[in-house]
Amino acid sequence: MDLTHVIAQRPSKKIYVDGDKVIKLFDNNFAKSDILNEALNQARVEDTGINAPHIHEVTKIDGQWAIVMDYIPGKTLAQLMEENPGKINEYLEQFVALQRYMHAFRAPNLNKLKDKMSRKIDETTLDSTIKYELHTRLEGMPVKRKLCHGDFNPSNIIVRPDGVMFIIDWSHATQGNAGADVARTYLLFVLEGKQELAESYLRLFCKKSGMSRKYINSWLPIVAASQSVKGKKEEIEILHKWANVVEFN
Amino acid sequence: MSKKYVVNSEESLKQLLSEVREAQAKFATYTQEQVDEIFFRAAMAANQARIPLAKMAVEETGMGVVEDKVIKNHYASEYIYNAYRNVRTCGVIEHDPAFGITKIAEPVGVLAAVVPTTNPTSTAIFKSLLALKTRNGIIFSPHPRAKKCTIEAARIVYEAAVKAGAPEGIIAWVDEPTVALSAQLMKEADLILATGGPGMVKAAYSSGKPAVGVGAGNTPAIVDESADIVLAASSILHSKTFDNGMICASEQSVIVLKGVYDAFKKEMKARGAYFLSDKEADMVRKTIIINGALNAKIVGQSACAIAKLSGFDAPEGTKVLVGEVDSVDLSEEFAHEKLSPVLAMYKAKDFDDALKKASKLIDDGGLGHTSSLYINSITQKEKMEKWEGAMRTCRMLVNTPSSQGGIGDIYNFALTPSLTLGCGSWGGNSVSENVGVKHLINIKTVAERRENMLWFRAPQKVYFKKGCLPVALRELSTVYNKKKAFIVTDTFLYQNGYTKPITDKLDEMGITHTTFFNVAPDPTLACAKEGTAAMRAFAPDTIIAIGGGSAMDAGKIMWVMYEHPEVDFLDLAMRFMDIRKRVYTFPKMGEKATFIAIPTSAGTGSEVTPFAVITDEKSGVKYPLADYELMPNIAIVDADMMMNAPKGLTAASGIDAVTHALEAYASMMATDFTDGIALRSLKMIFEYLPRAYDNGPNDPIAREKMGHAATMAGMAFANAFLGVCHSMAHKLGAFHHLPHGVANALMIDEVLRFNAAEIPPKMGTFPQYDHPHTLARYAEVADYLGIKGKNDSEKLDNLIAAIDELKAKVGIKPTIKDYGVDEQHFLDTLDAMVEQAFDDQCTGANPRYPLMSEIKQMYLNAYYGK
Repeated sequence: MDLTHVIAQRPSKKIYVDGDKVIKLFDNNFAKSDILNEALNQARVEDTGINAPHIHEVTKIDGQWAIVMDYIPGKTLAQLMEENPGKINEYLEQFVALQRYMHAFRAPNLNKLKDKMSRKIDETTLDSTIKYELHTRLEGMPVKRKLCHGDFNPSNIIVRPDGVMFIIDWSHATQGNAGADVARTYLLFVLEGKQELAESYLRLFCKKSGMSRKYINSWLPIVAASQSVKGKKEEIEILHKWANVVEFN
Repeated sequence: MSKKYVVNSEESLKQLLSEVREAQAKFATYTQEQVDEIFFRAAMAANQARIPLAKMAVEETGMGVVEDKVIKNHYASEYIYNAYRNVRTCGVIEHDPAFGITKIAEPVGVLAAVVPTTNPTSTAIFKSLLALKTRNGIIFSPHPRAKKCTIEAARIVYEAAVKAGAPEGIIAWVDEPTVALSAQLMKEADLILATGGPGMVKAAYSSGKPAVGVGAGNTPAIVDESADIVLAASSILHSKTFDNGMICASEQSVIVLKGVYDAFKKEMKARGAYFLSDKEADMVRKTIIINGALNAKIVGQSACAIAKLSGFDAPEGTKVLVGEVDSVDLSEEFAHEKLSPVLAMYKAKDFDDALKKASKLIDDGGLGHTSSLYINSITQKEKMEKWEGAMRTCRMLVNTPSSQGGIGDIYNFALTPSLTLGCGSWGGNSVSENVGVKHLINIKTVAERRENMLWFRAPQKVYFKKGCLPVALRELSTVYNKKKAFIVTDTFLYQNGYTKPITDKLDEMGITHTTFFNVAPDPTLACAKEGTAAMRAFAPDTIIAIGGGSAMDAGKIMWVMYEHPEVDFLDLAMRFMDIRKRVYTFPKMGEKATFIAIPTSAGTGSEVTPFAVITDEKSGVKYPLADYELMPNIAIVDADMMMNAPKGLTAASGIDAVTHALEAYASMMATDFTDGIALRSLKMIFEYLPRAYDNGPNDPIAREKMGHAATMAGMAFANAFLGVCHSMAHKLGAFHHLPHGVANALMIDEVLRFNAAEIPPKMGTFPQYDHPHTLARYAEVADYLGIKGKNDSEKLDNLIAAIDELKAKVGIKPTIKDYGVDEQHFLDTLDAMVEQAFDDQCTGANPRYPLMSEIKQMYLNAYYGK
């Protein structure tokens, strides 16, 4: 395996390209169970038939865990948006269409979104009454089984030179409520400081899907709380503010 | 305290549940007196603790106003006690021996109570007291933000209850509430009293247990141009500031008609409302609502505190922050439920615009909850009705502060006092009213068997005796002062002078008259319509129907159409199971004309029955009409009118009367009154029918006896009704053109055997008919007629033989086939006849409920002869 071409570097993991393969190399402080879970998640997504890189190996390279998968040549949608600001509306249309297309898939073996959110609420540093409110809110949400990416944003979409789009990085994938998936995407745009894009995105998604803004809004406190678990310090304040809301009678 | 452990886990909650269950099982045996004493003591204790509990609640939750929470606690103990002090909730709560109905109240078991942070102590008091009054156990799952004060309130009620004799452990709580524990509690309990946010209510409903829950409110108050502005402004401020706006029924927006907008605004300002500038309104928007949800930090805070949080100062003493806004859409923060003294104010261009705005606010945030209107309720009834129709809320408050008004018994004394306000299906609730004790008990209804009231009805006057006609008719002038008579008859009778004695008498009395003589056998609707037209033109005050069944029935139909031209004939003909419960109410008869029936044959009985049969000539369908409104006012039975009846008619009518008497006797609705008449009638027919048949005009006694017997049989079946013989005869006659009496004669043997079965597949449904006993009834008939037999079966056989003999004497042939009905045609029409006979009005009174296959078999037997 040739580990000379680094294409991305994240805290605690590096990503290399070797020919038509990508190697995701994890630091030693990464839990084995998380790595295997990510691989398993991705394999389950692969089973659905959606356009995503296929896994070829889960292996150890020089004592470090690695996942070897398809390399998808092309640019990310985030790059394209950056490079062609005039086509932003067109990209946004494609982005929303892809997300809706994804939500139509079912992956019955994936973890359940509500279970994951419940766990995340417990892991936050919010006080117990806010957690109680959030749990109550989560409990009242309908049970859905849609394929959710959990980190659906333009940098996780690669557009091949032939125009075909692939969704990558399925480590947060679950099956559950599209509303939560959309709320997460909206939140990511806001956290990036792209308030206007966030609004256009949400408007477009609601228009295309018929989903109500009210429903997506109702997920925001939960999604914000879950985001705060591993959130950046500067983001914690706004995330906590979003989470501290009530539904009274 | 019996509880010596902390409830904070699945296991400890399980333990607690079993203890409360045990306590509740004991409590379920308490008497009303014991319960009322406990209810009283518990209410007193809660009442006494109203101030410390209010203080605790404000301190712990950091929300609301101590003095207002005192009112809520006071209300929860005093008003709830007062409302239910004398209400029976244990054991027999209602008993009606005449109807045989007893209602018994039983507890539902263990209640799961979810309590919100907005009213943590008053709701706990309220639910505990309701539970005690209804002998239920209750377990509270408090909100973590208000657990101490909620538990304290429950404890105070609990300890007082136990001191007054309640079982230990009857009220309990989760010490360290989590969503998981509250979900477990809701799954295990027997009923959920959920007061909380939509999430909690949804969780309650998804637990699989019945839940009484409430939803979010978003009360819009409309201020009409006719409103008392001073009252409206102060009421709204009074309500909106109550406990810093935390009552869910509280006004969230005011929609003011443009004509009074400025005046209302001025009054609001003068009474302490602060109207926000555009900039301040924006600051408040950002503060109160985050992504469409209510910021937890502003709930139950004062107006000044919220202004400060938003980044500006409101003048000291400000009661409410008012944002003047246009949009009722959810994108407008002010359009949301705010649970704080923040109010949206809209200007409406007219009342319809106000309704539109209010509806939208309700649909988006407060479906099923509460709406409010300020209006002159005396002069503006029409607007009020419009509003009542337009709002989809379960409480509609008029000229009333909605916080204090919605919970009931403060501004209206018939609205149930409650701190749990049902929002109906609109709010996803099972209850649409204020929740009270009745929602927490199971009511067992003990229904004892009762028998139906029966009756005996006959024309007001039945005159009879050979030669009585002119005497009876005299009354038209002397008693009734009639002026115009309309005679209905058939062509034969008219041409043969049957109407002459009548018209002579009428002439003599100076009563003008006209005669419609176009009635044919099996009279048609067309004929009835023709007669009605003539009747309308003549406008009689008396109708005299003279003839056989056809003329009398046609006369009855004309009478209805004459008196009630507006009725739809098909409505009149609608079948019923029980004449007292029929869907269609028959129109009142006799307002235009008195109906007199004079039979010219001995059989039909129509002169004393509430029935008429008419044929729709287009479809061929026979419609039997039945209602006591169709009963003639006067029947005149004069054998002089029957003397020359031809043999065939004498035989067919006579046998028809036999079947009337037999079916009325076997009917489930037969009574002592009808039995006597039926038996006597039968005996007379057996004796005199052969004589009348053989001797005709030469035997006036036989003619008179037959005339009386037929009318008597008519009176019997006018009250006891008929049976499946007539059902089958109606269709046989219609399909194969057999005279009605002959058709009955052909079916009656089969029906006697059929009804006499001691183990029928199905018996008829009527409380008086308690077991199949028709064989014994037929044996009684045999006894009365002097027909012998060593047991009931033999008597029945001999009765049938006697009937056959009678039929033979008067020339009735034994089988349908004998009447020349083509076999193939008969078989082709059989299934249609069967189904129609089954559905005939007469089937209902038959003592044996016939299956269609059984009707078919009877037809076949009657066709071929058994």
